[in-house]
Amino acid sequence: MRALLATEFYKLIKQSRTYYALAAIFVIEGVVLFSAYYQGAGIIDIVLSNLKDSFYFEGNLLNGNLVTYFILNSLWFHVPLILIIIMSGSLTTEYKDKTLQTVMMQPVKKWQYILSKYIVAIVFTTCVVFVLALTSFLLSYALFGKGDLIVYVNGLTFFEHDDALLRLVYAFIVGAVSMVFFSVVSVTLAVIFKEAMKTWIIAAFFLILSNILLKVDFGSELLNQLLYVKLNDTWQYFFTFEIPWSTIYTNVALLIVYTLLTMGVGVYVFQKKDIG
Amino acid sequence: MSISCRQVSKQYGSVIALQNVSISCKAGEICGIVGANGAGKTTLFKILIGLVTPDNGSVTIENTGKKKAGGIIEKPALYEYLTAYENLKVYAKMQGASTDKNILHQFLKRVGLPIDRKDPVRNYSMGMKQRLGIAIALLNNPSCLILDEPFSGLDPMGIESLRNLILKLSEENLAILISSHIVDVLSKLCSKLYVINNGGIVNSGDMAALISENTNAYTICGSGIADSKILQKYETIERGNCVMVSVSSKEIPKVLQQLAEEQISITSCTPEVDLQKLFHPISQ
Repeated sequence: MRALLATEFYKLIKQSRTYYALAAIFVIEGVVLFSAYYQGAGIIDIVLSNLKDSFYFEGNLLNGNLVTYFILNSLWFHVPLILIIIMSGSLTTEYKDKTLQTVMMQPVKKWQYILSKYIVAIVFTTCVVFVLALTSFLLSYALFGKGDLIVYVNGLTFFEHDDALLRLVYAFIVGAVSMVFFSVVSVTLAVIFKEAMKTWIIAAFFLILSNILLKVDFGSELLNQLLYVKLNDTWQYFFTFEIPWSTIYTNVALLIVYTLLTMGVGVYVFQKKDIG
Repeated sequence: MSISCRQVSKQYGSVIALQNVSISCKAGEICGIVGANGAGKTTLFKILIGLVTPDNGSVTIENTGKKKAGGIIEKPALYEYLTAYENLKVYAKMQGASTDKNILHQFLKRVGLPIDRKDPVRNYSMGMKQRLGIAIALLNNPSCLILDEPFSGLDPMGIESLRNLILKLSEENLAILISSHIVDVLSKLCSKLYVINNGGIVNSGDMAALISENTNAYTICGSGIADSKILQKYETIERGNCVMVSVSSKEIPKVLQQLAEEQISITSCTPEVDLQKLFHPISQ
């Protein structure tokens, strides 16, 4: 198993596609930073012109925390979209190039092979979110400095710098769990559909649908609490005035269960299917 | 016996891919499977190598090692962005074979590939990719090698070179199964031939005997062959310096002897296998 993991990581880092996708994520980050640098102050002034007459804000409102918060919001769509392309591609490419067939002709256990794909997807996704968070903090603080964070989640909320930093860190950590879920779903879709284009379309559709359903009331307390679509915004809970820790713990635990179930389905289907 | 299958059947929906197929190939033997496209060769090979589960029947491969059979199905599937050495290393590592540099270089040398090329295999010719595919198939010392259409896409030099490699490997006591839709290619390699048609084995036996039984004409090449007196007794078709003569395998030695007596220098004599007869022996 360790050997399979090593070869999967090796293949991932040897493919130029991985670097294109990573570059895309960091280009998005760069665009956010660039836009904030040149236009951010003007927009903030317009939005908060009334509030500034009534409240005193510590430091500049267009600061590193706010810009990091903007970048954090790429976890809604941009980052998971790119991650599902990379992670599903790690399997669909093997189907297309028939290398999967060659692998299965070696004395390698099918379930171990697909499990190694999932583990690599989880580790890689976590690393991407970590690097995104790290570069966001470093570049945002370097370019925009520190200050209070103002966010709009069910109303405007202000956080002092130290509190904001902690909340942003937690949000990235919990956001990583959501990203892992989408990566794992994309690998499972690749197991089922095999073909890259089909898998990408369905995975992107899944992501869009998940974001739409997040705002839908299912009319049942149980569904509204337990359905996976209601768990993917848990990282936003850190920007309410009181952090709902118990809800966050429950949601993260449920999301991990959903992730493991999705993996289980993928491993089962892969094990059952003939390769070729 | 090194590899065999008994009464193997496979159906995809309403399409019968294989029906009660039984074949065997001994260690040190090269066995050919000839059939038209879609006859069931690839499905049979996928079942033999374990990629596809048969609906009925069994496959037996005698080998106590970790890897029972190695092979190439349809085309050599490689990680195009890696070098030949890196490909070999990845496949070796994932199956727990040695990744020692010298051992992997030995594998590359064994199939006649250079060890000093540092470019990705996407730059390689099809012949070189086939060789690398064989090197990967040989990792972990399987007792059997299964090669599906290994000559397709190769130029004549590539075919000759790959043929020599396969002959060399058969001397290492490997059982080698090769499929092709061209009888001529297999006739130069195999000692035994199976003919597959519509998912069933319709003919089988010793290669030389099968060729002989199913040959009604020979193409004989040589200078001045068109003016031969002896050939005037037979039905012939002229093709430059060659003549296709309708003659049975029993008569051909006598014809060749008489051509020699006429001082005609013969450069080649190739049997023209009657494919209709080979593929439909019962209806003939």
